[in-house]
Amino acid sequence: MSSNSRIGGEVSQHAENRIPAMEVENAGARELVDGPTVFDCHDVSVQYGRSLALTGVNLAIRRNEITALIGPSGCGKSTFLRCLNRMNDLIPGARVSGDIWYAGEDMYATDVDAVDVRRRIGMVFQKPNPFPKTIRENLAFGMKVNGIKASPDRIEEVLRRAALWDEVKDKLDDDAFALSGGQQQRLCIARAIAVQPEVILMDEPCSALDPISTLAIEELMRDLREQYTIVIVTHNMQQAARVSDRTAFFTVVQDDRGRYGVLAESDTTERIFRAPADKRTQDYITGRFG
Amino acid sequence: MTTGSAELPVAATAHRPLAKKRGRPGDAVFHGLLLTALGIALAALAWLFISILSNGLGNLSWDFITSRPSSNPARAGFISALKGTLVLMFYTVLVAIPVGFAAALYLEKFASRTRDDLEAKLRRRERRIAERRAAGAGGPGMAFAQVRLAWSRVWVRVGPPVNHVLDVNISNLAAVPSIIYGLLGLALFVAIMGFSKSLLAGGLTLGVLVLPIIIISAREAVRAVPVSIEQGAMALGATRLQAVMRQVFPAALPGMLTGSILALSRAIGETAPLIVVGGVTYATREPSLNPLEADAQPLFAMPLQIYSWADRPQQAFLDLAATGIIVLIASLIVMNLLAIWLRNRYTRRW
Repeated sequence: MSSNSRIGGEVSQHAENRIPAMEVENAGARELVDGPTVFDCHDVSVQYGRSLALTGVNLAIRRNEITALIGPSGCGKSTFLRCLNRMNDLIPGARVSGDIWYAGEDMYATDVDAVDVRRRIGMVFQKPNPFPKTIRENLAFGMKVNGIKASPDRIEEVLRRAALWDEVKDKLDDDAFALSGGQQQRLCIARAIAVQPEVILMDEPCSALDPISTLAIEELMRDLREQYTIVIVTHNMQQAARVSDRTAFFTVVQDDRGRYGVLAESDTTERIFRAPADKRTQDYITGRFG
Repeated sequence: MTTGSAELPVAATAHRPLAKKRGRPGDAVFHGLLLTALGIALAALAWLFISILSNGLGNLSWDFITSRPSSNPARAGFISALKGTLVLMFYTVLVAIPVGFAAALYLEKFASRTRDDLEAKLRRRERRIAERRAAGAGGPGMAFAQVRLAWSRVWVRVGPPVNHVLDVNISNLAAVPSIIYGLLGLALFVAIMGFSKSLLAGGLTLGVLVLPIIIISAREAVRAVPVSIEQGAMALGATRLQAVMRQVFPAALPGMLTGSILALSRAIGETAPLIVVGGVTYATREPSLNPLEADAQPLFAMPLQIYSWADRPQQAFLDLAATGIIVLIASLIVMNLLAIWLRNRYTRRW
């Protein structure tokens, strides 16, 4: 699938000309229907201490779609992702304002238990972070804290879902650190699936992996989309183009409030890559950023 | 953009030949000084070691280890001191490990040290109370929430400096001379709590003595566990307590134990605080190893036996002291080897 993709096939000389900025084959491309929204974000801002990290984000994320968050470093895309499962609560000094509605409920209401939010909205981190235990224990931990019985059948099922079963079925009681980076990351995805979340957030899940592991994980994501809603932050625009249904492009603004991220535009991936409305998006995806 | 390298300015001067090797006398002198310093340190140690071995090795036998103390140097042995030390270490571990590990986990993972953090907590509480009041909540629950809110308002100002002072003082405590801990133990365990001048009081004193060292090393071990482990656990819907107790703590445990063994190997050789708590006694009977009877056993341990032998005028007793030192050093080496083995066996590269 990636063999057909190429960047900057026909780079437009004038941003206002709507010439395809980037041609990419999306193997999983399909007709998008405007399904129910899972996240409704209104005017979301994040501050770390006294510095503004991200502001004014309005974005809807739809069920059973893969939404990619792209943009240059420091544009706040990972920060925004961490708002979606209240992971920012764990970072000292981080403050989230604005409204995020999750399936019709205010996720940041003062009586909402952030622990339940994180159970329902799983997360896969940039660097694979298996627990320093056996493969089985890695999967069983999340299940146990959520009251799910970690039976051998369930373990097998989630490992099959994560396309890891064949590689690890004979070494379930081996140390997870003995796995390769790509296998570790798939274990982390399996671990997230094992607690039966509704949404999976992925923060640059392939940035520490080789191309083959990356492809395996992209394949897995397309598989998982049938059942879950996926939001992925990625630095790799080809990856965004390959796997995502919709794309949100974040960019960096510098003014008297400092250097912070904003959402430039969001649309179907097809339109973002072929005919972006915002000049900043066009510049970025054609490699003329900055 | 084009053939840039060709347009780089070429050095104007003619080619200078590579410099030849030359002596650097300053370097040699400095090198020599460093070696001398190392030599002095090692020589002092070696001299100590050799003199102890030459005096003490002659007495070292299984009989020496299994015999009781005696006024006849030919029959005197070390068993009372060994058993005393075992009981002391039992109580030291009992006090220092649970308290030290808990303190380390609290300080590293639960105490909020930044003002921003506390302010965020305060704001959340304020918002929650305002919403509950608007919803018409009242009663004792609400009153309790008000008290917590008032405390949050105070702690935002007081907390960070208090935690900072705590931080600095744990390091200071580790540097307090051990005899001060002896006085503390005498006052706290003997005078106030009413224990006799026993193995129990001595063990508890040594526990307090090594507590700061254990806290410091345990905190380092906790800090060495990447925060991604804790976040990974919490992202699966674990509470902070579950994440810390089931993932961070087990991952830090080998490091915490390594530090603790090294701290205990300091406690095992401590003499001054034991003398302050119990005086230099002369044990004629073997102490019981049953920890429940520790308060009835006179305070006696390896360093005290060595001290009391070394205090005598007869050469035979001085040689016995050297033999005792050999046994003490051997147990230190064993403990250190255990710590090194633990570290090599279980340390992970994250």
